[in-house]
Amino acid sequence: MAYVATRGGERAIEQSERLFRAEMGEITPGRVAEIRAAMPYLIDRVMGEASLYDEDLAALALAQTGGELFEAVLLLRAWRTTQPRLAVAEPVTQDSLFTHRRISAAFKDIPGGQILGPTLDYSHRILATDVLSGQTYRPEPVEPAQTPAPAHQPSVAAWQAANGLLRAPTPDSVTGNDIPDVTREPLLFPARRAHTLQSLARAETGGVLALGYAAQRGYGQAHPTVNELRLAEAEVRVEHPRGTIFSAGRVKVSQAEVVSKTGTQLGLGFAATMGWNEVKVIAAATLDLNSKGAPKGSATEEEFFLYHTEGVESSGFCIHFKLPHYVTFQSSLDAMRDGSLNQGASEKQPEPAE
Amino acid sequence: MSLKSLTREWEPMSYGFLDASAKREVRRKMLKAIAVPGCQMPYASREVPMARGWGTGGLQVSCTLLNPRMSIKVIDQGADDSVNAVSIRKFLARVSGAPVTMNTLEADLIQSRHRIPEEVLRADQVLVLQVPNPEPLRSVQPNLSIARQMHADADYGRMWLQLYEQIVRSGRVMQGASYPSLVNGRFVMTPSPIPRWDVPKLNMANHLTILSAGREKRIHAVPPFTRVEPLVFDDVPYRVEEHGALVCHRSGAKGFFMNEIPQDDGSSSYEVSDSEWGVKTIRLAEGARVEMGKTWYRNGEFSQ
Repeated sequence: MAYVATRGGERAIEQSERLFRAEMGEITPGRVAEIRAAMPYLIDRVMGEASLYDEDLAALALAQTGGELFEAVLLLRAWRTTQPRLAVAEPVTQDSLFTHRRISAAFKDIPGGQILGPTLDYSHRILATDVLSGQTYRPEPVEPAQTPAPAHQPSVAAWQAANGLLRAPTPDSVTGNDIPDVTREPLLFPARRAHTLQSLARAETGGVLALGYAAQRGYGQAHPTVNELRLAEAEVRVEHPRGTIFSAGRVKVSQAEVVSKTGTQLGLGFAATMGWNEVKVIAAATLDLNSKGAPKGSATEEEFFLYHTEGVESSGFCIHFKLPHYVTFQSSLDAMRDGSLNQGASEKQPEPAE
Repeated sequence: MSLKSLTREWEPMSYGFLDASAKREVRRKMLKAIAVPGCQMPYASREVPMARGWGTGGLQVSCTLLNPRMSIKVIDQGADDSVNAVSIRKFLARVSGAPVTMNTLEADLIQSRHRIPEEVLRADQVLVLQVPNPEPLRSVQPNLSIARQMHADADYGRMWLQLYEQIVRSGRVMQGASYPSLVNGRFVMTPSPIPRWDVPKLNMANHLTILSAGREKRIHAVPPFTRVEPLVFDDVPYRVEEHGALVCHRSGAKGFFMNEIPQDDGSSSYEVSDSEWGVKTIRLAEGARVEMGKTWYRNGEFSQ
């Protein structure tokens, strides 16, 4: 007789995974293509959090996980980590972005103009229930403007810097493989600027929003004004082995600049991510704006928000509490029972997370 | 000469899952960790096909150390058949082609969550402990940057104070698992949430222990023959769980760390936590030829 049915555990986990996958049914190329076409903003969010820009893989990850976002992002990250690095693209500058949407809340009009682009901001949020009773919803055709908006725009912060309203950040001249890469080195504090921006770019949207919102509500010192919010496409310019620089394609990016008055100058917060995700970049830029000089342990301190908005780590740790903890629990019980014998009453002690 | 002659054939997955540069980093950080016992070494910690908090740190160390001739044993809370142990063992075998075993004596590499086997480990064996939280100071200082500074200064006053306060309030040290321990007289480490029962097994051990936290991106190590001393006051001795007199209701094994099983009548029965030790005890009682290794505890007392 075996002590434990050794095969039992193996069979159980095999069958539970089958049960999950059976509910999802067949995954066909058609299903993946449909997810990709129907949910570009979901795809964008997943690509941003995975820091892997591939719409097909993102759609596949969503199909494979049934839309469990944390699982989809983990799937993409685990795939990404094994991929070779063929080249490092040239830096993208703000005025080189092919801009679809760019708005500023700081000025009524800005050099280059306000460009609304695609948005639901002013829509009435009414469900198109007719679709459920068999009618197809057909979007109204877009009427193009007489003169197209310029595709390339300067940044609002550049204008403010030129007018002495803020001190522009010093450009970082590091390029190529010398750029600190947070996926290849540990995040240490005070964090390098590149690590901070990379971490925010791949942070979990909900987490960034929660902490960014806390800062906006008053747990941060600086109240943000959206200097500029931009949805754009960036050329991925890489060097061919023969030496020619060429564009390998375009990726969708979002970026936000937020400012607030700090003394006689404006403080600047910045965030960018792959894919179009407005909430994330505004919240992330708010955190960036508030991080300078934030007290240790506050929600706007860099260490606090970078650690706690890492979606793969936080979700993984959260679900790990489902694992058996009976050894650690047993160990605590032993101390607790003895302690209450000594005291006649048990007292609650903080235990470190396990 | 062509490029092709210089490279290997393309493979969808590297041997041992991690690519060569990731393994190199883990190897370097392990060597540093061994060189400075108990000191936490930050590493990049790649994403692996398992969720963070589920043994990804241990997994990266195992993936780096593995070769096809090594026998792997994986345990979770003492048991080889726990679902996550099964899953990790399957993954390691799949990416390495290495044989798996449950017998502690046969294993070259043991990846474990929160237990050290009851049989004494040898110098040729490596123990990889999964670590949820590598920072022993977390309960007194949650900020990592400050905690790092405290380690650098060997500033462990608040740690002692916490233990002292527990004694004042509850009449004893209330720390359950993860008992903070001083390594080689210099760094306080967490031994990972192994029970207090297991901590003495690390002191002046024959084997190498590597502790790796994937989510928190830290590796620390206890090299062979290194002092590991639980933090205790001179007049309040270290106490392991009072399991020395407990008897396993399934195997009859006595004097080892037990799992408590609540019974309908309000009482508890116990089964030995090291499942393989339980299996061996049962098989021996049934008359099978079983090699029972030397154990750290004899008659419920630590005896090294």
